[in-house]
Amino acid sequence: MPEPIRTILAKHSREPDELIPVLQDVQKEYGYISAESVRGISKYLRISENTIYGVSSFYAQFRFTEPGRHSVKVCLGTACHVRGGATLLEMLERGLGIHCGETTEDKRFGLDRVACLGCCALSPVVQIDKEIYSRVTVNKLTEQLKEYE
Amino acid sequence: MTREKKLKVTIDSRELEVRPNTTILQAARESDVYIPSLCTLEHLPSYGACRLCIVEVDGLRGYPTSCTTPIEEGMVIRTDTTELRSLRQEILKLLLSEHPASCLFCEEHDECKEFQGTIRKVGVTTGCRYCPNDARCELQEITEKVGLTETSYPVYYRGFSVEKYDPFYDRDYNLCILCGRCVRVCNSVRLNGTLSFKQRGKLTTIGPAFDRTHLEAGCEFCGACVSVCPTGALSAKVSKWYGKPDTQVTTTCVYCPVGCRLELQVKNNEVIDVLPNYDSPIDRGLICVKGRFAIPEYVLSPERLGTPSRLTPVGYEVISWDQAIDEAAKRLRGTKPEDKLVMVSPQLSNEDLFVAQQFTREVLGSDAVISSMMIDLGDDLVPFLELVTSSSTFDTIEDARGVLAVGFDSTYGYSPVGIRIKKAGREGALLVTLGACDSNLDMLSETAFQMEPPQWAEFLGSLVDYLARGGKGKVKIRKEWTSDIERISRIFSDSSTNILVIGQEAIFSSGRREIFEKARTLRDKLGWKIIVAHPYTNLLGMLAMGAFPGAKPGEFLKNGDAVTVDLPVIDLAKRKKVVYLIGEGRFDTIPDCDYLIYQNGLPPVASRQPDLILPASLFTESSGTTTNGEGRVLKIEKATEPFMDAKPDWWIFNRIAEKLNKGKLKYKDVAAVQAAIKKQVKGFYGGRKPVEFARINAERATKWLRGAPKQEGQSSGAGNNPSYRGIPLARVVAGMKAIDEWVNTSLLSDKEAQ
Ligand code: SF4
Ligand code: SF4
Ligand code: FES
Repeated sequence: MPEPIRTILAKHSREPDELIPVLQDVQKEYGYISAESVRGISKYLRISENTIYGVSSFYAQFRFTEPGRHSVKVCLGTACHVRGGATLLEMLERGLGIHCGETTEDKRFGLDRVACLGCCALSPVVQIDKEIYSRVTVNKLTEQLKEYE
Repeated sequence: MTREKKLKVTIDSRELEVRPNTTILQAARESDVYIPSLCTLEHLPSYGACRLCIVEVDGLRGYPTSCTTPIEEGMVIRTDTTELRSLRQEILKLLLSEHPASCLFCEEHDECKEFQGTIRKVGVTTGCRYCPNDARCELQEITEKVGLTETSYPVYYRGFSVEKYDPFYDRDYNLCILCGRCVRVCNSVRLNGTLSFKQRGKLTTIGPAFDRTHLEAGCEFCGACVSVCPTGALSAKVSKWYGKPDTQVTTTCVYCPVGCRLELQVKNNEVIDVLPNYDSPIDRGLICVKGRFAIPEYVLSPERLGTPSRLTPVGYEVISWDQAIDEAAKRLRGTKPEDKLVMVSPQLSNEDLFVAQQFTREVLGSDAVISSMMIDLGDDLVPFLELVTSSSTFDTIEDARGVLAVGFDSTYGYSPVGIRIKKAGREGALLVTLGACDSNLDMLSETAFQMEPPQWAEFLGSLVDYLARGGKGKVKIRKEWTSDIERISRIFSDSSTNILVIGQEAIFSSGRREIFEKARTLRDKLGWKIIVAHPYTNLLGMLAMGAFPGAKPGEFLKNGDAVTVDLPVIDLAKRKKVVYLIGEGRFDTIPDCDYLIYQNGLPPVASRQPDLILPASLFTESSGTTTNGEGRVLKIEKATEPFMDAKPDWWIFNRIAEKLNKGKLKYKDVAAVQAAIKKQVKGFYGGRKPVEFARINAERATKWLRGAPKQEGQSSGAGNNPSYRGIPLARVVAGMKAIDEWVNTSLLSDKEAQ
């Protein structure tokens, strides 16, 4: 077990109730929950790896792949959804060759969906790292992505 | 127990008295009131997912689900109002909007059910590709009961690809209704945790972590999830296209000494599937992969021996039973007793073993009836038997406050014992495991010690010494173990009941002699209970029946004195004239011989060709009894006719004896054999209580075995390789082979990782 996981676990008791807090700590430390972390947590809390995965995949806050150098978040809030957010996401999935929640093999992009970024007037909205792109189209987005290395 | 006060309630205007501490649904069922339900199931915790079981209760808002609402005094409940009916129909429609449903609403439905036993009722375009249509679908039943005849929603096809890459069962999650029964049975009944809900909302699926296969995720292939699935989403590979079985036969599994009760599903004189029996007090329905999935493929193997045959210079010649009996008699006649050797498998029935020893003694005039099991154990045999005959019942685990499991893993066997241990651990007993690598008990253990098998005896020794001295005085303990041993010893010595479970890896480890000795000390000095989880199914029957050199029928049973086992010296290096194997399929343990008689269901695993092959029936094909590891005598029931011309073992002995003109063996049927056993082994068929065995004098363990093949310390014999009548299950059962390969590769990668 890598040291940081050990330290994280040591801060919690071995009660099953500690699962979510532990997961949050791990996510904070690594940015994602790796198979190795799940194994470590499983042994410590005596919960099966499969259950841990099941529980954590229920919450959008946890991800299971290493984040990319750049995070691409497609808004699927009501307004964005209506104005083509879902299509954008699908195009991105195809273009990058990954599913939502995953990271490209070269670790360049990680793709996620968010519920609402709070700027519905600009919909559909995509956030790349800290930058918000409004009224996005597939073409515009493809151009934008080229600027991120 | 104080009698529970009944509650007075009103269900559908009927005044009823019901048990307290149940749910409305349970109470209704017990009073014969039908409430539709899908997700709830006996033995499983309620979950409230399908919402079909809604009812109206005076004073409660809305429509509570009866499976999750506790019954209370004075409740007024309605289960069948117009609103409820239409609500249920609506709920079911929604549920079916994600499940291919053309078979449910087809106009030809009734005719189809009666006359057309087709595999697939409807075109594959409707998504019904992998539904086994085996009359077990509860959706079909519920749709009828709820009275739904059409649906107004379009069906949403989820388009998952069918998961067929794991052994034994397929998964078509397009048919899944997310009732969660499989998740609950896997987690709360099997205490395994392979399955869980993943994601949420529309994306919800069921399965293990990270898209792992079930094999990778630690699935036991117990099939519990398959049995409880109300749809065709989970289905057994071997049996899925057979349709509905004709009959069900309750019998006992002979693959290991647990002796699980099984429900054989029989169709057209073939065992097509096997289901657990949840009412069995021995295993509680917690059977393992072998009983659940490895029987049909074995007994229906295309390799089955169906006719007697003899070896000629140009290959095997099929002969009649008369010729075969003549041949066997000719070879056995006239040879001196010491030139003959009879070897029996401990997986034969009590009756077959009884006749085998009688045949050897009275007909062949020899005492040499042995078993490759004895050779596996070699000179450690007597101490081993001493422990085995005093093994505790499986129920003792339930009251245990401390369990120490050495070299034990119940993933693919001994699951009724393994799950009891896990349960004890979960309910607060101290559970400690000692093994070479991860075991499936580790998840619930307080501490899992990992070390190479040669160190187990030493570790155990330190623990025993420490416990024996109550922490006082000086005990020599390795530094790295000291604090752990001190800690667990304290808990063990505070606990009222402790159990040591000796697993197969320990039985086949090089330090087993010492492990057995330590176990004896724990039992005799410290009052521990011992369970030996060995692979030799009817070993106790073998002893009781006297199918053992130097021990007549009944000698091993308790009647006062301890017995001293005086084994005659057996020299395997000395060539024999005739060796007669009954249910023994491994030839690495048998001495060289001029003539080899092979009586079994499948061809042997060896290069030496038997001279005479006598096809024997298997445990699904003839009746009898077997003795489980606790000493319980359990019934084996005949479910089908024997394969082709195969015969029961006792019948074959009988015929050869007749030919040799030795009077005694004249059994008409199994009942006659049992009558003879009753006379010689008093109290054997006594009833529900386990048969008790005499104390065996373990101090006087002699060196009885000479010229035995060198064993590689560890994985010898049946140890890691479950077999039936000497044939590894992995050889004939595809899924067992897949498991075998997986276990071997993961062991390898574990080793590399270390
Ligand atoms: S076969 Fe048994 S262990 Fe495997 S997923 Fe199903 S219930 Fe769980
Ligand atoms: S645990 Fe033993 S007796 Fe039970 S099903 Fe498995 S092999 Fe058969
Ligand atoms: S049976 Fe009650 S909600 Fe499914």
